[in-house]
Amino acid sequence: MKSKNYTLTTMPYSLTIGWLYPELMSTYGDRGNIIVLEKRCEWRGISAQVVNLDKGFNVKLFNDVDILFMGGAQDLQQKIVSDDFSKEKTKAFKKVMDWGLPGLYICGAYQFLGKYYKEANGNVIPGLGILDLRTEHPGEESERLIGNIVVEVDLVGLTPTTYEVEERKIEEKHIIVGFENHGGKTYLGENLKPFGQVMKGFGNNGKDKTEGAVYKNSIGTYLHGPILPKNPEIADWLIEKALERKYKKKIKLKKLDDFLSQKAKKVVLQKMSSY
Amino acid sequence: MNLLLIFSGKIVIFISKILNLGNGSTWPGHIAFNINKKFLKDTLEKRKFKIILVAGTNGKTTTGKLIQTILEENGKRVFQNDSGANLVNGVASSIIKNSNVFGKLNYDFAIFEVDENTVPILLQSISADFVVCLNLFRDQLDRYGEVNIISEKWKRAFSKLPKKTKLILNADDPQIAYLGEKARNKTLYFGVKTSGHNTFEHASDSTYCPRCTEKLDYKNITFSHLGNWFCPKCLLKRPVPDMEAFNFYPLPGLYNKYNIHAAVLTSDSLGISNEKIKKSLKNFHPAFGRQEVIKFNNKSIQIFLSKNPASFNQSLATINKLRAKHLLILLNDRIPDGRDVSWIWDVDFENNFKNFKSISVSGDRIYDMALRLKYADNIRVKTYEDLRESVEKSTKALKQNETLYVLPTYSAMLDLRKILIGKSIL
Repeated sequence: MKSKNYTLTTMPYSLTIGWLYPELMSTYGDRGNIIVLEKRCEWRGISAQVVNLDKGFNVKLFNDVDILFMGGAQDLQQKIVSDDFSKEKTKAFKKVMDWGLPGLYICGAYQFLGKYYKEANGNVIPGLGILDLRTEHPGEESERLIGNIVVEVDLVGLTPTTYEVEERKIEEKHIIVGFENHGGKTYLGENLKPFGQVMKGFGNNGKDKTEGAVYKNSIGTYLHGPILPKNPEIADWLIEKALERKYKKKIKLKKLDDFLSQKAKKVVLQKMSSY
Repeated sequence: MNLLLIFSGKIVIFISKILNLGNGSTWPGHIAFNINKKFLKDTLEKRKFKIILVAGTNGKTTTGKLIQTILEENGKRVFQNDSGANLVNGVASSIIKNSNVFGKLNYDFAIFEVDENTVPILLQSISADFVVCLNLFRDQLDRYGEVNIISEKWKRAFSKLPKKTKLILNADDPQIAYLGEKARNKTLYFGVKTSGHNTFEHASDSTYCPRCTEKLDYKNITFSHLGNWFCPKCLLKRPVPDMEAFNFYPLPGLYNKYNIHAAVLTSDSLGISNEKIKKSLKNFHPAFGRQEVIKFNNKSIQIFLSKNPASFNQSLATINKLRAKHLLILLNDRIPDGRDVSWIWDVDFENNFKNFKSISVSGDRIYDMALRLKYADNIRVKTYEDLRESVEKSTKALKQNETLYVLPTYSAMLDLRKILIGKSIL
């Protein structure tokens, strides 16, 4: 308790992380993303509070959070969540995303933001229709897209390393790693930007080399792993955007010791380069 | 022809043992299957012995060994598939291995531990006398898919069981208990008597009613999603267990109570008295890697196979009760471990390490584990990229009366035993 009081009085910044359906939408270690967001705030003296947005949550809570997170789920659970999204809730959700509320949506949650999900048997389940994307399962016979994945990410604000060699300007983008496991194949609408380009692995559909989608400050992606521990720059991007939106100014984040993240990422990169 | 397959299979086993390639637990069966798809049906059709299948995410090997010990101590002849060789080819291999040169199996019982996905396939070709179902936990989603999908497959397979098959089911696991609801077969239930808390660990699945999908309520929870459950909507509830306490436990750990109750209930229904069961369990030795103690460089190492969030949480709880001071965690990401290591973020490491003096990590995904522990209460660990070095250095640091507790994933456990004992198992 003591340390908590201390933090309240001295921390200049605070963020509220909204966790959408932590019980229903949580497989594949999704919780790791929440832990990373929380700790990376805490280690920088930013007070972070996690609010669970469970079944039946009040729509108004969308206005009280600074970052949203939603993970993947089993089919049954996803159906319960779908029923919980009333027209009013969907509208409010879209509005905060339009206003640039930073968010991370993994796998099932990412698919759910799109127009529809076509099941293996041809049955079409409507999505929230917030993002211009659709997901189709090609049928029982087709293999799931499973394995480690390497993606080159191009996020506005995620500064690339640039350097010049003689006349040539070279930009090194961010390389991130994760593990994908999905039956559905996702196709993006014309105006929706992918989260990144697939270097190794399948990504959205195994064909067009795109992975995930970015809309304003929201990221939809197939990357488990979970995504944030081994790619802390994405966590920091979300935190930075959230602070900027809340405090209406650019706040530079203190560097953290990410030695272990880098080592863990390298192991995956080495694994993938040997295939 | 099957006689020929058995004979050639035996040669494969012999050669593979000589070359120290393993015990020949899967290859002979694999070859036999490629030649005769009906190998199992053919060899088991006119059998004179009883078959006991043991299935579930966690506890198959220990439960199988408990039943084996009880039966053998009571004068029965038993054979089993080798632990971990729990696909159809492993079952077939055990038949080859245990047949005599005339292709006869002179046994009273066969105990087969069976992989979750293999249960429906195996039940198509053999008629079991007992099917023991322990639990279904979140495990290796890249290989098995989600828990709901597996229980659905089992439900379909169980609807076609012959009448003579007895079901031994875990009453405390909603998905497992529900399998007995519709079956025409004689069903017995085991559980664990608990009192007290009803809050969930993080890694809980199946907290929704298997009949009407409403969120379940629990009077008590033992661990994960196991406990005294009921559905507030359709009123489905935990069946009354036929066995929920026993007077002797050869292994510590709450999770082992379930395994022991399953084994006792099975033996009990075979007519072995509780007194005899208790006596035979006094001679029980743990299966390899399951609380097995091995001496290495004159120091004690105890191995707790920890392969998914539920089993990892239980291992941590058990070694904390045993006042463990030194811990080595081994994380691999090979096919038997699951290639996706995301699951370590579902383990409740937080607040579980207060009493440890040293924590080390090794294995293929050593830095993923080190990173996980850093994010849990800033736990600092020693990292060893080389497995042998991790074991040697960690044991060297022990005082004479101290034990090194090792929590490995499956393939890491096999590698570790190879270092400690000097030969491979599978």
